[in-house]
Amino acid sequence: MSALDPRLSRRQLLRAGAGGALGLYGLGALGGCTVSRPIEKPESTAAVKPEIDGDILLYNWAQYMDPDIKKRFSEKYGVAVNEVNFDNLEAMVTKLRAGGHYDLIWPSTEYAFRLQQEGLLHRFHRDSLAHADGISSFYDGGWWDPNNEYTIPYAYYTTGIAWRNDVVSGMAGSWNDLTNPDGAGKMFILDDFQEAIGEANLLNGWDLNTADPNQLEVSKQTLLEQKEFARGISTNSVQNLVNGSAVIHQAWNGDIVNVRNQVDNPEDFSYETCKEGVPVGSDLMCIPITARSPGTALKFMDWIIEPDNAAQNVTWNGYPQPVEGGKQAFAGLVKDEPSIDVDIEELGDGGMEYRLDNAEDRALWNQVWTEVKAS
Amino acid sequence: MSEHGFWSRFLLPGGLWLFLLFVVPICLVLALSFGYTDDLGRAVYAFRLDNYADAFDPLYIPVLLRSIGYALATAAICLLLGYPIAYYIARYGGRHKHLLIAMLVIPFFVNYLVRTYAWVALLADEGLLNSLLGDVGISEIQFVNTPYAVIGGLVYGYLVFMILPIYASLERMDGSLIEAGKDLFGTPARVFLHVTLPQTKQGILAGCVLVFLPAVGDFVAAQLLGGPDTYMVGNLIQEQFFTASNWPFGSSLTVVMMLFLSIWMFGYLRSAAREARDPVAAEGA
Repeated sequence: MSALDPRLSRRQLLRAGAGGALGLYGLGALGGCTVSRPIEKPESTAAVKPEIDGDILLYNWAQYMDPDIKKRFSEKYGVAVNEVNFDNLEAMVTKLRAGGHYDLIWPSTEYAFRLQQEGLLHRFHRDSLAHADGISSFYDGGWWDPNNEYTIPYAYYTTGIAWRNDVVSGMAGSWNDLTNPDGAGKMFILDDFQEAIGEANLLNGWDLNTADPNQLEVSKQTLLEQKEFARGISTNSVQNLVNGSAVIHQAWNGDIVNVRNQVDNPEDFSYETCKEGVPVGSDLMCIPITARSPGTALKFMDWIIEPDNAAQNVTWNGYPQPVEGGKQAFAGLVKDEPSIDVDIEELGDGGMEYRLDNAEDRALWNQVWTEVKAS
Repeated sequence: MSEHGFWSRFLLPGGLWLFLLFVVPICLVLALSFGYTDDLGRAVYAFRLDNYADAFDPLYIPVLLRSIGYALATAAICLLLGYPIAYYIARYGGRHKHLLIAMLVIPFFVNYLVRTYAWVALLADEGLLNSLLGDVGISEIQFVNTPYAVIGGLVYGYLVFMILPIYASLERMDGSLIEAGKDLFGTPARVFLHVTLPQTKQGILAGCVLVFLPAVGDFVAAQLLGGPDTYMVGNLIQEQFFTASNWPFGSSLTVVMMLFLSIWMFGYLRSAAREARDPVAAEGA
């Protein structure tokens, strides 16, 4: 057994770093001794109750929540609601692992699952929230939280194709539309290894999350063929569509709302989901185990999914929120182009989440993605 | 206490700072590069050579060559653009010298990422530049999502690092040498080639190194201005950390890149040392 715990704690980071050359030498001597031992499940802790127990610090994406919602909570309950932002989930998780004291975080399903497995999340009873009834049934017993005790949803996005209907014709609600000849040289694939490979997997009839090397090889060829049509690989779909660089863009449905808000000709921008499958991504809310005021944090979660607040928030940020109030507000935002409003409850088996929960599969997918981008 | 001892004490805070925030993190990167990632995406220290075997995968050779090509082009364009600017300011800036230098530097107070986003908006198909061109009857040109846009973004991002060292070397240069050259009936071109250029060689080299090295590892320009075939080493490394949850592989790529770039740096240092030892001989060389 290695002297270094396989898990990377902050203290070990410091020790390994301060050890410098000596540490390296030691690591060399330990080569081959590393044991990948099963991940320890956290001891079950008492469930958090929604009661005010101090000020809270939110750790969220920037520009993702209407500041007025924080302000009114603060006034009503007499606690401060502070917020700091991250710009990628790895940075957020790294700070949590280092023991950062945040009271509420916004991870994706995959990251929420990993954090929970690491024992970094507080448990709570969803029933203890006054507005839990309004949460979409899509989030009832998801694979990332089978017993509904660590997460509630904040926003979701479906992945489909956005296109300029004044330039492109013959779109057929299929991932094949990415290679519609009208879009040649003005098509973009999302710069996201899961979205890109996932779309190719669906097109080939594979499981969205397949880790079969032969299937992934075929999907790689599909992506290389699509790349011939592509002008770029980018997640700036809003900018690419608004400034006219893209006429076909693999895109999230929330982004097309922003596009239509920014242009003079919103009626020219359409969105479709694809019959081979609709990837659904979600940002969740969780309470880190290091939270100083978990009770207030839970109360604040409840506040966010209160129907009027949810409606206000959706109107502010333009992302669909899968709770009562939020759903209706989003439908109102996109009433001119109802295809943007994808009802995840109606997707049934057609709605699917990305899930790569072991290191080998992730490495394989990334290898495929690198080969697509590098060749 | 000797003067040497007196000044040495002031090295301590800076030295400690460098050690903790530079040497230690680099050791961490080095240590991590032999590790692996567990199922939850956590980096684990170990001693495995897999990451290095992966880093030398032939797949990455075109990516590396492309990065070097872009960076060399960037350094060359920066030199062609930057030298005349530095020359003009140093020789003819007069009492406005400092103001002119400040004007060059001020845009760099704005974050590189933000400035690059601005370029995307300016150069887009329906962006400002194309609409101006449209007004004079030139049809839409695709600027963004091309290798040229990436190199343009890099030039814009690093130009100031070329101008400042050349400016400094021109400032240091004895202006009477140029007068002497003219007195000896040298044409402006010949005086420049035989007097000014050799005198500012170290500034040029320093500028080239300061532009080339960060440009090789840059990921912002390719990510925002690039197309499907402009993938650079910086993008590859950045993705290992931010999307692939594979810090150990990202670390091994970083170590390989650092060693590779050190070779260029070493070449520069040797040339600078030779110059310092014997400027005249170095010039003749």
